[in-house]
Amino acid sequence: MSTTASDLPLQHTPGHIKHDGHNLTGFVIFLCSESIIFLAFFAGFILLKLTAPEWLPKGVEGLETRMPLINTIVLVSSSFVAYFAERKLHQGNLWGFRLLWMLTMAMGCYFVYGQYVEWSELAFSLNSGVFGGTFYLLTGFHGLHVITGILLMALMLGRSFRPNNYAKGDMGVTSVSLFWHFVDVIWIILYVLIYVWQRSS
Amino acid sequence: MTSTSPSPRQGLPIRRILVISLATLVNLVLSIWMAQWSVDWLPVAASTAAPYVDGLFSLEVGIGCFIFVGCVGFILWSVLFSRADKYDESDGLPIEGNTRLEIAWTVIPFVVVMALAFYSIHVNEQLASLGPKTKYDLAVDQQPDAVAAADNLKDIGPIRVISRQWSWEFVYPDGVRSSELHLPVSQRANFQLSSEDVLHSFYVPAFRLKQDIIPGSVISYSITPTREGTYRLRDAMFSGAYFSSNQTHVIVESGEAYDQWLKKAASQPLVSGLSQATELYQQRLAKGDRGWATVPPAAPPMVNDPGHPDVLHDA
Amino acid sequence: MTINYDPRVLKAPHPVPGAPDNWKRFFSFNTDAKVIGIQYIGLSLFFLLVGGLLAMVMRGELITPASDLVDPTVYNGLYTMHGTVMLFLFLFPVLNGFNNLLIPTMIGAPDMAFPKLNAAAFWLVPVFAIVLMGSFFVPGGPASAGWWSYPPVSIQNPLGHFINGQFLWILAVALSGVSSIMGAINFVTTILRMRAPGMTLFRMPVFIWTAWAAQTLQLIGLPALTGGAIMLLFDLSFGTSFFQPEGGGDPVLYQHFFWFYSHPAVYVMVLPVFGIFSELITVYSRKPLFGYRFVALASFVITFLGLIVWVHHMFYSGTPQWMRNLFMVTTMLIAVPTGVKVFAWLGTLWGGKIRLTTPMLFVLGGLVNFIFGGITGVMLGTAPIDIHVGNTYFVVAHFHYIIFNTIGFGIFAGIYHWFPKFTGRMFYEGLGKVHFALTFIGATLNWLPLHWAGLMGMPRRVASYDPEFALWNVIASIGAFMLGVASIPFILNMVSSWARGAKAPPNPWRAIGLEWLLPSPPPAENFEDDIPTVISEPYGYGLGRPLVEDEDYYVRRAQEA
Ligand code: HEA
Ligand code: HEA
Ligand code: CUA
Ligand SMILES: [Cu+2]
Repeated sequence: MSTTASDLPLQHTPGHIKHDGHNLTGFVIFLCSESIIFLAFFAGFILLKLTAPEWLPKGVEGLETRMPLINTIVLVSSSFVAYFAERKLHQGNLWGFRLLWMLTMAMGCYFVYGQYVEWSELAFSLNSGVFGGTFYLLTGFHGLHVITGILLMALMLGRSFRPNNYAKGDMGVTSVSLFWHFVDVIWIILYVLIYVWQRSS
Repeated sequence: MTSTSPSPRQGLPIRRILVISLATLVNLVLSIWMAQWSVDWLPVAASTAAPYVDGLFSLEVGIGCFIFVGCVGFILWSVLFSRADKYDESDGLPIEGNTRLEIAWTVIPFVVVMALAFYSIHVNEQLASLGPKTKYDLAVDQQPDAVAAADNLKDIGPIRVISRQWSWEFVYPDGVRSSELHLPVSQRANFQLSSEDVLHSFYVPAFRLKQDIIPGSVISYSITPTREGTYRLRDAMFSGAYFSSNQTHVIVESGEAYDQWLKKAASQPLVSGLSQATELYQQRLAKGDRGWATVPPAAPPMVNDPGHPDVLHDA
Repeated sequence: MTINYDPRVLKAPHPVPGAPDNWKRFFSFNTDAKVIGIQYIGLSLFFLLVGGLLAMVMRGELITPASDLVDPTVYNGLYTMHGTVMLFLFLFPVLNGFNNLLIPTMIGAPDMAFPKLNAAAFWLVPVFAIVLMGSFFVPGGPASAGWWSYPPVSIQNPLGHFINGQFLWILAVALSGVSSIMGAINFVTTILRMRAPGMTLFRMPVFIWTAWAAQTLQLIGLPALTGGAIMLLFDLSFGTSFFQPEGGGDPVLYQHFFWFYSHPAVYVMVLPVFGIFSELITVYSRKPLFGYRFVALASFVITFLGLIVWVHHMFYSGTPQWMRNLFMVTTMLIAVPTGVKVFAWLGTLWGGKIRLTTPMLFVLGGLVNFIFGGITGVMLGTAPIDIHVGNTYFVVAHFHYIIFNTIGFGIFAGIYHWFPKFTGRMFYEGLGKVHFALTFIGATLNWLPLHWAGLMGMPRRVASYDPEFALWNVIASIGAFMLGVASIPFILNMVSSWARGAKAPPNPWRAIGLEWLLPSPPPAENFEDDIPTVISEPYGYGLGRPLVEDEDYYVRRAQEA
């Protein structure tokens, strides 16, 4: 059938040649999929808020917005810090990377702490109707992502001390920083939905 | 099978056209016959909605039958006449496609289903004009009549339909309570459907109407029965352990009979209404409460007329 | 018994199919996609038996109108678990088994993109299987609110225990979702990044297209279900009220979450079977696939449309009229891309050299049943009709016509067709035909009559029913028991062929496709460092063109192995 039949095995494509970049592809697919959970929660929140006959539980006026705003600013700026950390890594400035990376982690920790303070001061609980339920579900689920992000960053930080860690590229750092931006964007939407939107209704 | 079976390419075009037209004609006749027969597969038609649904169903059976028989006939034909011989290792005609044909079988089904969809929307609108089916959300402790707009064109009602795990209760405007639903024929009846616990569904097959009942909401729902008789009302949304027993009768009777019934029922004292689940649950307890967990049935409603569950039904 | 093994088999760093005494690898954490594929298929067939056994008890109960065989609560638990086991422990895993066997071999990749993730995804299946099966033994019994688990009935929790059947059900479904997502990421990445040189998108076999389209749906749909499941779990266990009207929640919201995934899920299940149909019809008719590109692209049209029809499961849930009308149109549109595929298969049969082997019989039987089930689907998509037959046995009959009588058939067809490739043994044709005959007759007796029961108004999920439905149910139960009997020749065939069937040549069906250029069974890394370059579209039957460069070399290599 074939015209170039020969008895010698020819130089065909070796099996493992095309393996670079799979991790990033897989991770991006994962993030897209993960974002749908949040979309589902957001959709649920909007629907419940629009249709619930009683939204706020008795005795609750609404949410305080100043502290969360500070928190938001910290979290959003941390994304930029992470970006610069990544830049430093590309430039080969390892310590620069580590310092900025640790700063990102610190800002993330501050966010989690701020969230904890807010939670502990609230007058309503998870069981206070749909309002309480959606509030804690959304912020809690997002908080879990922030904590995951911090842990992943710690992992990358630890690895950066391994000799030759970046010989095969810095896919891990790219992925984690992508994750961090993702967590950030989700928070912005969340903040608008939960804190900003409450006034208009 | 022999390999000398006529290859479709070799037949004279005229003969082929003839065979295809004949087959199509047979299929058409068969489909029309099926479409007419299919109405018998449904329960008796006892509401103004039923003829619309039945007509649409019959139409779709006809179209469906035509497509199914056409496709299956084609498969059978191919299997009968294009079989490979036992030792025949050759390949079939290497046709890789035919763009015109492919466009045709994309466009034709598209036109068919869109025509069907728009006709169904039309039927949907007509069904809606037979009476509203509107959902209203209830806040805690609110009463259904406070929120549900009644149907302006109604002849009787609103009749409150209260569903529970697992019993039905019907409350008439003058306060009569009953376990079976009595309706006068040819009068538009308005209901307020509500549930005290979980989802249920108000389903009377003879009326071709089904509506989920949603706790926390009240649904204003109107129907017009057109045929006297006794029909089954079946809960059609799974509602827990004794779901299958959550059925009762709908009695469609003449206006006079209905008025008489109402009057008689009003004079009767309240008694425990129909709740087969309660009996079954008692039996279960008596046998040592084996089986898997269930919430206990709600207490049977107190009604003026507990009904006659043993009467045979028409559909 | 001595067999000549592929020398590379014995050299391989870890056990591979065909090597002596290596059955143990199927019970270990193995990262070879072909081993994982067989693990998936074996495990899922076991759960087909479990789900089938539950169905036998259900059909036993339903053979008489009264609820006399089991308590109604038990019946409710049985059908809930039947649906859950069949979908999450049989159907999804078996399809992932096919994905594992076929994706790397068909696209010429040595393995999956993430072999460890792949193995982890598989081993989650026994984990959630244990969780789900364990729920039979917790106080109060397993989940029994149907596989939909609609609140509020699903969150009533009669005994008030924290660990209850419904809790374990949600846990199992969530774990199943995690496993499926891990699988989907792997499959999509592999398809996108690891194709052999020259294998452009329009040179991929249709099975790859359908697997890709199906896994895309998983990635989009599953997270929504997971979101809904988390909220349901909170309502059940932590006293929130997302779906509880008392706290302002909305039970219907759950239905949107559920069907936003579970409708697309039906296409996740059926699309790969469309792939199997396309592969098999071409081989056994010895013709190119009619309109290959249309068939391939139609998969993604179905993916897209599949995402926007979910409300057809909620026509009678109190959805507003405009929604019913809108979703009626989108639902009906799905008939178009599906029809493109069906007609393409018919066109492929036309003028072919058809060979009615066991796999082909299952394909043709499945195809006939699919057209039937698809047409009843369009009827259900017609809102006014659905208002009458929704939640009756008409629906149950519709979906078993597709889910068992089509997908089940397609899976049997696929198992037979690729059995020689991945086990290296031929199966017994005679037993296969007995299996087909029993299955086809049983399936028809089981599901055809129940359409009429549904049309007459017999609700689904009932342990007892009015006597007028008895006749249909007796016939159905007899058919169901025949299906139970049909599993005997199948099991016999599989076990004895694998143990002592004739050794399979690399390409027993003279099929065209990369997997058939490999030895049977293929070595651990498939083509290893010798990946062929694809030079033409698949299914070149009768066209005399080679599929890859140096085809003779690969054919010879596979034969010598
Ligand atoms: C697993 C696979 C599967 C598949 C592929 C389908 C395919 C379809 N299904 Fe089905 N369906 C289920 C599994 C499946 N379904 C399940 C499991 C349920 C119930 C779940 C539960 O309630 O527990 C269900 C329930 C269900 C309902 C809800 C009923 C109710 O609960 O009230 C509806 C309503 O619209 C529906 C419609 C359709 C349609 C329109 C298709 C279409 O995709 C069919 C398209 C195919 C064809 C039409 C045939 C081939 C086409 C041609 C030959 C072209 C020419 C045809 C025409 C012009 C009409 N299905
Ligand atoms: C992949 C999916 C799948 C498959 C393959 C099946 C296969 C079968 N199903 Fe399934 N079914 C569902 C998915 C599936 N089902 C779902 C999702 C529901 C809805 C649940 C709900 O409402 O929540 C449902 C509901 C459902 C009902 C409705 C219950 C109700 O509403 O009250 C019934 C009733 O007849 C039924 C029966 C059967 C039968 C007889 C088979 C047969 O085809 C099974 C054949 C297989 C075998 C027989 C295996 C071999 C068995 C053995 C080796 C045991 C041998 C034992 C003896 C012979 C006694 N199923
Ligand atoms: Cu892929 Cu090694
Ligand atoms: Cu659907």
